[in-house]
Amino acid sequence: MILEARDIKKSYGNRLNRTEVLKGIDLNIEKGEFVSIMGASGSGKTTLLNVLSSIDRVTSGHIFIEGQDITNLKDKRMADFRKNDLGFIFQEYNLLDTLTVKENILLPLSIRNMKKSDVEKQFELVAGELGIYDLESKYPNEISGGQQQRTSAARAFIHQPKIIFADEPTGALDSKAASTLLRKLQTLNEKSRSTIMMVTHDATAASYSGRVIFLKDGLVYSTLRRGEHSQEDFYKEIMNTQSVLGGVGVES
Amino acid sequence: MSLNTIIFKNFFKNIKNYTLYIFALIFSVALYFSFVLMSKDESAQEELSSGTLMSTGFLVGSVLLVFIIVTFVMFANSIFLKRRNKELALFQLIGLSRNKVFRILLLENAIIYFGSLFLGIGFGFLVSRLLLMILLKVMQIELPVGLSFSMEAVVQTAVLYIVIFALLMIQNFVFLKRTRLINMLNLNRSSESANKKLGAGTVAFGIIGLAMIILGYWLSVKIFDHSLLLVPLLFGILGLTIIGTYLTFKFSVAFLFNMVRKSKRGHVNVNDVLSLTSIMFKMKSNAFLLTLISIVSALSMGLMSLSYISYYSIDKAIESVMPNDYVFYEEEGLEFYEQLLSENGIEYDSVTIPTIEYDAKDAGAISVDQDMAEQAGASSVHLNIVSDAELDTFDVGENEMVLTGVPYFMETFIDFEISQPLTLVNDEYEYTLELIEVGEEAVLSSFVTYGSPVAVVDEKVYDKLKSHYNYDEEKGAPQEMYALDIVGEDSMEIYELMDDEDNPPFESKISQYTAQMQGTGMMMFIIGFVGFAFLLTSGCILYFKQIGESEDEKGSYQVLRKLGFSEREIMKGLSIKMAITFGVPLLIGLLHTYFAVNAGWFLFGTAMWTPMLTVMGAYVVFYSVFALLSLMYYKKVVKQSM
Repeated sequence: MILEARDIKKSYGNRLNRTEVLKGIDLNIEKGEFVSIMGASGSGKTTLLNVLSSIDRVTSGHIFIEGQDITNLKDKRMADFRKNDLGFIFQEYNLLDTLTVKENILLPLSIRNMKKSDVEKQFELVAGELGIYDLESKYPNEISGGQQQRTSAARAFIHQPKIIFADEPTGALDSKAASTLLRKLQTLNEKSRSTIMMVTHDATAASYSGRVIFLKDGLVYSTLRRGEHSQEDFYKEIMNTQSVLGGVGVES
Repeated sequence: MSLNTIIFKNFFKNIKNYTLYIFALIFSVALYFSFVLMSKDESAQEELSSGTLMSTGFLVGSVLLVFIIVTFVMFANSIFLKRRNKELALFQLIGLSRNKVFRILLLENAIIYFGSLFLGIGFGFLVSRLLLMILLKVMQIELPVGLSFSMEAVVQTAVLYIVIFALLMIQNFVFLKRTRLINMLNLNRSSESANKKLGAGTVAFGIIGLAMIILGYWLSVKIFDHSLLLVPLLFGILGLTIIGTYLTFKFSVAFLFNMVRKSKRGHVNVNDVLSLTSIMFKMKSNAFLLTLISIVSALSMGLMSLSYISYYSIDKAIESVMPNDYVFYEEEGLEFYEQLLSENGIEYDSVTIPTIEYDAKDAGAISVDQDMAEQAGASSVHLNIVSDAELDTFDVGENEMVLTGVPYFMETFIDFEISQPLTLVNDEYEYTLELIEVGEEAVLSSFVTYGSPVAVVDEKVYDKLKSHYNYDEEKGAPQEMYALDIVGEDSMEIYELMDDEDNPPFESKISQYTAQMQGTGMMMFIIGFVGFAFLLTSGCILYFKQIGESEDEKGSYQVLRKLGFSEREIMKGLSIKMAITFGVPLLIGLLHTYFAVNAGWFLFGTAMWTPMLTVMGAYVVFYSVFALLSLMYYKKVVKQSM
């Protein structure tokens, strides 16, 4: 088991005016899994991702990554942990406009001691897999949104982290760019045995993953496993669950 | 590729965002350094008779400058920190600890900062020559300006900037420690709108704010009616206007905006989107900033106006105390110098005017504000009586009297009423005349009259008064003025010829004029310098703020342009925004200045409007430059948004 969450609670606001976003979530994720988190707006999916990925702190509960509790790590340890074990993909890419595609991708490697040839090899592998190898010397504002998001994905994969967290990675992409990205993520997931956890509201996007966890009002509502189903069948199953949940693909 | 190279590359790519910050930093260093350098300039100091005045003035000026610079640099730093939060968050996400991120910031800042320090000192060295020339020009001193470099000034500047650097690092450290990663990723999008609801409180505070300002203004007009409470009143007015301004910006303006916005019922047009709603979105920080800028503008404009008024009035002020070129204490003095001047072939006219001192009754034409008079140390009003036969310029009727040489500040505690009887008193003897005119022109030197006004009367009246006059040896009232006028132009050469330790003492108009010119000139220069620094920094701060907002609102411009609004339409809305953000504080600043100057200008000089309007005009012009710069920046952003 790579990630284990125990009774995660998260609330915002002061004592008088409190909003509980997560009301006690238990979660287990195995190594090499590709998990999607779905739910209506305000169900707490992004908040869950933020606390699991150490961007935000939990109010109570514990998160273990490979048996290590990360909820009360010191800054230095937390930084090391992010450096070695975590990768991030955001909806708005979060690339530095001042760096080229290659520099952006290599950023996580630049803070560890690696041989230059190994770095090059790793870059060729990941960038080639994501189809952005030819863009290496371009700046982010010179390439398309889909290419930018693949650059962002490459940055998340480059240091072979244990878990990659993706927050609505396809949110700003058209369907073609989205399916390209998701297929690449799927391939990388299978090839490198890295774990991916993705927040999405798009059933199509979720159907690329192996397991879908549905949240409702800050609690886990149900879980779907793809198992031996085809992607189309899995998609239909997700749609069915979603309509039971009451949010038939109408949320923003 | 190591982290350092990436960071450096990122930094140098980013440097164009820093351009103005660097420019402002260099400028502030140059300003401070040249200021310090000037204060250490020995050749200039030797030349100035008012050397101690100069060093005190420079000291006060430099303290103010330090204050401005620290505020400014820290504010600019906070803006840049916020602009870079995403980048800093990303560094943390890929696994840099906060300490490491702090070290990156430290390194970057050190490069910018010490680079600017270096350039600024060089630039300041060149500028200081220019400034010194300006200073000597205002003080009307002819002196070749040489190039002298002071290591002490460099050290002083360097020490100050190292201290500021340490402050900045503390600021950065606190920012990194305080700000959570999650907030850093979302910082730009957070609204600072303070007044989501239009409660009764907003309305009440809005009205209170305006009322406070009006009360402050009203008190400032009346300030000399309550002269005993001068100091508490002064602070009261300051407090009222400052707090009132803040409340006005925070509540009155917000209230007004809210009203306008509500009245639109959701039908906002493009101008509203770019001006109204955008200002409201960041109202909280705007309120504080706009208050600061109004107050600072008012302060510097007010001080500059007052100092310019006194500089502008020197001629008149001297005329009212020194009627002749040279005045002597004793008859022997006059005789000595008559001989000295004749020996040197300089033509002159001797003037001897006899005078007697009478007291004036506090009745009829004269009404004295007793509290104020006591504060001024004048228990009764002395008048020096002079016969009109001694003066060419006066011809007074037998029952009449003309008061002249009335110092301009005397009218703050004595009211002279024309066409009223005025009673002169000496011991038991009283004599009443009608006051027909009050003027400022001096006929006796102030050092004969000790600042009392001169009463010019008819020759016969003078003789009568003289015959009843009891000269009091102990009081030592003046009896006669011995003076001489140089035929043609008086000059410093003549003054220097006469001015010798062994010679009898005397007063000279030309030397007084020079001393005043130097004193007030120095004052005006330093206040102008500091005021300029104020102007520059507040302009820069507004400009930085606009740069930040334009970056934040880039998305809105893109949306608007996608919706089909032309660049020109968007720019129109932004022009309104600029007019409000720059115009409102300026307007309030101008109003504050007017009332401040209006309250006390007569203590400084004889004319108010010309000097005040000159200062205000110059300020407005410089200030507008920053509004235009901001608008140009907006234009660039709008253009690039699509």
